[in-house]
Formats: sequence, C-alpha cells, structure tokens
Amino acid sequence: MQQVFTDIPTKTSVEQKIVALLHEGDKQSVRLIFKHYGVVLLNVIQRVVGNRAMSEEVLQQVLLKVWQNAQSYNAQKAGLYSWLVAISRNAALDQRKTKDFKLTQASRDALEVMALENKADASNSIDKMVTEQLLEQLSDHYQILIKMSFFEGYSHQEISDTLNIPLGTVKTRIRMALKQLRAII
Amino acid sequence: MDVQKYIASGVLEAYWAGELNEQEMREVEAMASQHPEVKQELEELREALNEFAAMKDALPDEDVLNEAMKEVEESEQNRFWEVLSEDDRSFVKRAKFSLWAVAATILLLISLGFNFYFFGQFQQAREELAQAKVESQQLAQQISDTRENLEYAQLRIAHFLNEDNIHVRMEGEDISPESYANVFWNKKTNAVFISVDNLPEPPHGHQYQLWAIKPGQPPIDAGIFDHNQLVQELKVVKGKVQAFAVTLEKEGGSPVATVDKTYVKGFLQAG
Repeated sequence: MQQVFTDIPTKTSVEQKIVALLHEGDKQSVRLIFKHYGVVLLNVIQRVVGNRAMSEEVLQQVLLKVWQNAQSYNAQKAGLYSWLVAISRNAALDQRKTKDFKLTQASRDALEVMALENKADASNSIDKMVTEQLLEQLSDHYQILIKMSFFEGYSHQEISDTLNIPLGTVKTRIRMALKQLRAII
Repeated sequence: MDVQKYIASGVLEAYWAGELNEQEMREVEAMASQHPEVKQELEELREALNEFAAMKDALPDEDVLNEAMKEVEESEQNRFWEVLSEDDRSFVKRAKFSLWAVAATILLLISLGFNFYFFGQFQQAREELAQAKVESQQLAQQISDTRENLEYAQLRIAHFLNEDNIHVRMEGEDISPESYANVFWNKKTNAVFISVDNLPEPPHGHQYQLWAIKPGQPPIDAGIFDHNQLVQELKVVKGKVQAFAVTLEKEGGSPVATVDKTYVKGFLQAG
C-alpha cells in the first residue's frame, strides 16, 4: 500500500488537470488545451495542410471535436497529446480533401506574404524589443530550426532538404537549439 | 534503459514536432509515465516552445479559441434541444396508444387541484394557530407582570402599615425634581427597605445606591439596588440616622457617595 502513495506525484501536471476537466465535462479544458497545446497542435496540422490560416481553421474544428469526444478519451490507452494529435491529423487530412483546400493551394504564396507583413507590424512594442534582445543570444540558424520544426509544420526531412543539412544533424541541432532556448528563457 | 541517454536522443523534441507516428508517440508516453525525469523534460520542452512562440508572434490566433468556444456552446444547446425533442416524441407516441395515460393525467391534475386547495387551507390554519399562540403568550406575560406589580404593591402597603417601620419619603433634588422614593427602616431588626417609586432609568453602566446620613460623618453605604424592582431589602443600618439619600454611582456601587449626583433625599422626623 505504501508504494501506491509514494507513486502519486506531488504536483498536478497540466496534462492531469486537463484530463480531469475533460472527464467532468468542464469547458475550461478546451481553453487549457488551446493555451498549452495550441502551438504544437497547429504545427501538426500545418504539416498536413501547409497553409497557416487554413490550419487555424482546422485547429478550431479540432477544439470542438475534442469537446464532443471528451468522454471517449481513455487516459489508460493513450497520452493526452497523442490523442489530440490523432484528432488533429484526421481533421487536417479531411481538410485536404475539401474543395476549399485545393483552391487555397493556388493562393498560398500570396497569403504567406501577408502573414509576414502582419508580423512586422506587431513587432514594434517595447516588450518585443526586450525579447528580441534576449533572443539575439540564440543564433539565427537555431531560431530558424525551431520555427520550421515547431511552428511552420516542416518535417525533419523537409528541413534537411530545404536547408541542405543531413537528417541526423537536423535532429541534433533542433535538440541543441531547444537546450539553448530553455537556458535563455 | 539509460534515461539520460533516452532524453538526449532527441526523441522528445521529435514528439512535440509531430515527427513521430502514433505508435512511437505512445512509446514516449509510456516512458514518461515510468520515468518522472522524462515526464518533466517533456513538460519543460512544451513550455519553452510556448514561450518562444509568444515571443515570435507564432501563437495561434486567439480568435481560434473564441470561435471554437462559441461552437462548443452551440453544440451544447443543440444537444439540449435534441434531448428535449426526443422526450416530446416519446410522449406523443405513448399518448396515442394509451388512453389510460390521458385518464391518469386528468385524475392527477384534479388531485393536484385538490392538493393545492387543501394546502392553502392548511397554511391559513397554521398561520392562525401561530397568531393565537403569540396572543396567548402576550396575555400570560401581562398577567405575570400584573401579578408582580400587585405583589410589590401589597409589600409596599405592608411596610407602610408595619408599626415597627420608620418611613422616610425622599423627594427629588435639583438634578431630578420629579423623582421620589420611600425608605422603610425597621426599628427592631434595623433592616432597610427601599421602594423605587419614581427614579429615571439609570444610564448604561450605572446603578443607584442608598446612603444613610449621620451627623458629622460621611454618608454610610446602605446598599445598591435594582431600578426595576419596586421594593427591595438592602443593608442593615444601625445608630442615629438623620437622613437617607440616593445617588447615581458606577455599576457595583461606590465606597464614597458622589454627592453631586444625589437624586432623592429625605430626613427622618425628629423624635
């Protein structure tokens, strides 16, 4: 019996909290999933869909599906993230089959230019300047790797192809990049 | 398996990057549930990525959440209506096939009507009873008060009539000209009784005190008394008393009379 008690972690993780809320049918679970998993899920979707704006639409559908299927989630069978990823990948694949998707493929480049402009507008505040300074410590090629791998939906193979780096090196460098990032923030 | 080596392998980063297939992800999660270090590393990686995304304006648009929450609310409402309409349908079905249900419903409604009527009557009767109880309590209180007054009056008369008593009527002083009170001093037992006839309600934390006054001496404490009790026995006083007086003192009385707070005073008749 003693063993059972020592196994219980002293701090509740974000994952445990979300799982508990999901089972209680508490809408707060959806907010927390967006807050803590939104970035990585959007990336997973973007790997399939490609276009960011459309990926956000898919993420929106994913959140609704998560809510509607909350009761079917079994924490014994899968971790929260792999369950979320499964829903996200299915939704992203469904999106690829739509007419909408095929139409936007054509204007994908134009949209990306707009997205870049929006980002430039937002980076004027003092806060941004402080974080920019902080991030100067993180070399550019590391920043690019993190962005491509985690925010822009590139697979490791695609990064290897685009940047012309061997696949093994991509993996090592992503790990080093995150290590450095964690040291800074 | 060497946990540190596992962490250093880059598989955890690949996990968050969406690089792993379902099977591989479950393997990572199994490792995390066995090794707290792996679990912690995973959480820290996710947090670092979220912070970096915030710095780089790479967070998903907040509208995504807002729109999703709207849809969540709508889906809840729809489900609510579905449940309701399902109920409707089943009700109609049953009503069609069973006249007994209709008859039972009508009977139930009639019964509810009677219940309602009788409950109203019952409530009214209960209120009347409560009212009567209050009135009877008030009456009992009045009787008890009256009886007490009567007892005091009888006691007072008895003191007046008692030939062993010296009676001193104390008249109001400047501080309270309307006031008066009576002292009965028993010649045989030297007991002192006071009859509180007309003294104002003492202020909070104060009490009246009776003093016996002998020539050439400071006033002698004859006892504190309760303003609410009409006739009460106080201390025994002996010797040649010239007068009695009542002063207002702090609650519990005072060893020395506060002379300028004298409310009533009366002299013994010479002889």
